[in-house]
Amino acid sequence: MDALRTVTRDIDTNSTKISARGVQVHYGDTHAIKDVDVDIKERSVTAFIGPSGCGKSTFLRCINRMNDTIDICRVTGDIRIDGDDIYDRSIDPVQLRARVGMVFQKPNPFPKSIYDNVAYGPKIHGLARSRAEMDEIVERSLRRGAIWDEVKDRLHAPGTGLSGGQQQRLCIARAVATDPEVLLMDEPCSALDPIATAQIEELIDTLREKYTVVIVTHSMQQAARVSQKTAFFHLGNLVEYGDTDDIFTNPKDRRTESYISGRIG
Amino acid sequence: MTTLAFAILLVASLAAYALNRRAATTIRDGGARLHSVSNYHGLFALLLMLVPVLVVILIWLVLQGPVVNAMVMWALPAGTLDGLDTGQADLILAEIQSISGGRIFGDPEPWKLAAAAHLTELRELAALGLVLLTALLCLAIMYVARRKVAAGFRARQGVERIISGLMIFCSVAAIFTTVGIVASLAFETYKFLRLVPLTEFLFGLNWEPQIPIRADQIAAAGAFGWLPVIAGTIVITFVAIFIAVPIGLLSAIYLFEFAPKRIRSVAKPLLEILAGVPTVVYGFFAILVVAPAIRSLGASMGIPVAPNTALAAGGVMGIMLVPFISSFADDALSAVPRSMRDGALALGATRAETVLNVLFPAAIPGIVGGVLLAVSRAIGETMIVVMAAGLMANLTLNPLESVTTVTVQIVTLLIGDTSFDNPKTLAAFALGMMLFIVTLIINIFALRIVRKYREAYD
Repeated sequence: MDALRTVTRDIDTNSTKISARGVQVHYGDTHAIKDVDVDIKERSVTAFIGPSGCGKSTFLRCINRMNDTIDICRVTGDIRIDGDDIYDRSIDPVQLRARVGMVFQKPNPFPKSIYDNVAYGPKIHGLARSRAEMDEIVERSLRRGAIWDEVKDRLHAPGTGLSGGQQQRLCIARAVATDPEVLLMDEPCSALDPIATAQIEELIDTLREKYTVVIVTHSMQQAARVSQKTAFFHLGNLVEYGDTDDIFTNPKDRRTESYISGRIG
Repeated sequence: MTTLAFAILLVASLAAYALNRRAATTIRDGGARLHSVSNYHGLFALLLMLVPVLVVILIWLVLQGPVVNAMVMWALPAGTLDGLDTGQADLILAEIQSISGGRIFGDPEPWKLAAAAHLTELRELAALGLVLLTALLCLAIMYVARRKVAAGFRARQGVERIISGLMIFCSVAAIFTTVGIVASLAFETYKFLRLVPLTEFLFGLNWEPQIPIRADQIAAAGAFGWLPVIAGTIVITFVAIFIAVPIGLLSAIYLFEFAPKRIRSVAKPLLEILAGVPTVVYGFFAILVVAPAIRSLGASMGIPVAPNTALAAGGVMGIMLVPFISSFADDALSAVPRSMRDGALALGATRAETVLNVLFPAAIPGIVGGVLLAVSRAIGETMIVVMAAGLMANLTLNPLESVTTVTVQIVTLLIGDTSFDNPKTLAAFALGMMLFIVTLIINIFALRIVRKYREAYD
């Protein structure tokens, strides 16, 4: 498996960032997530894999409470970030989402300039006290998104005019601009070509230095390349969770083995 | 008899359909591979018959009346029509026609009775001719169509061609109607401009069109400057848009993003009912409720208010436009991809911030298009202003005064005694032309903005 890796890494820390216990999600009458327990390590990349409709995206959206925006969706159980229950009444989901950034499957830059796209989050959360400070945040975020060199001369061009891969990196820059602790990525490369995908994967690996990254992916190679921990979901259950190397070389559950060898999914 | 012709055509077309379909099926069953499925062979025969024969019947029916009439008049005893002008000749023809229809008044001359009998005879002959012609044509076409059935015959493409021809005809008819309307407007406007110079019409500051149309009438000399009239239209439109845009937009945003499902399910149909209220009813509302209310409010504050204010007419017109703008805004907001909303929410934006900072700017070209269409509706709106706005052409921008609009003037100029050779009547057409030009320009702008917007997300 190591042959697939761009860089061989170990998990830097052992502290748990996100811990979920007995999470259940219902969409109307559909039971989408069944009793999921998982501990996600700080400053590491955790991949969620599994066949379509297995609930991995749904679970991801529980972590920043994006499921709240869907009327028929009901989440129960306990999800904690740094020990705080994020479904507690005292937690404002709007504040939470500034701490837990998200990147979507399809690049979704706002129809605004590149600068305004990145500055939007800091602006609504009041992170910059002056114009100069905002410029600094924008530049830093674009650098973290590994797109600064490509757009520094046209910061005021519309973000929608970029190529798909650039748009996705812009969206990553936009997400890190609010200085989140956790970055959720919902199949961030599925709409991109192989070159753009490689760039994003490289970027994800560098993001690990500062952020706790959780990525949903359909590509098992991608999971193997970028993640340290992998969780395999099947029919709403978390079937197996462990070090990526173990999951791919020595799966304990028969369903995991069938999936990674291509027999289900 | 005409009904019979149509019946023959219908039956023959269906027969041709069945015949060709059967023939094609037989060829297929014989083992050959058909180019088109047998249904298309049937449809081809059906259309080949229906369309041309229908055209022939319609042309026949249009020409039948004039031709028969001309033949009757031509067959009258020599010298009957000598010295009569067209009007008197038409009168005789009408009398002959009513005798032929069985309505005999008084004691008609014997030659009229004879002519009436001749007319009846000719009409029966024509009807018979039509039926015979239809039957013959149907038979001929059925034969031709049947001969075409073969394994290699491209009936599918044939049907396609006939149908696309029909569609071209329909769109051309719509275009020609428009061209005809504009041409008639332009012609009358040209006649008006021969009587009143263009500079007076465009730049004149007075509008007093009530000039005498008969020698014995006493009236003013007349002045035809359209500026006071268009000023009234502008004031009323401005008031209407000023009321409709905020109410329409905010209600659309509320219903789109914030309203609970229960409220939305009640409020949306109610808004649609508002859109269905006839403008006459809005007019009642304006004169009976809004105008007196504004007047007494003004009186209580010591502001002089005219009985027919631009504010009342424009305000009620604004209410009329609310559902228009709100449904346009709703469409524009719904057309913004959901991923935009998710993107903003995931950054920690509240719902209000999401709508105001992300959805609304993304939807604004569509909304502006809707507003411009609402403006052109407000400019062209007639019934509310006829009822609630005044008739006096006041060159003012004060909404508390009485003003008149272009549409009101067109209506008043064409009501009552009219004759189409004096500037009073013709002025209506010139005003109509100007109205047409103004709304056309606004519509072009609106459509361009809407189109630009559509390209943004596809």
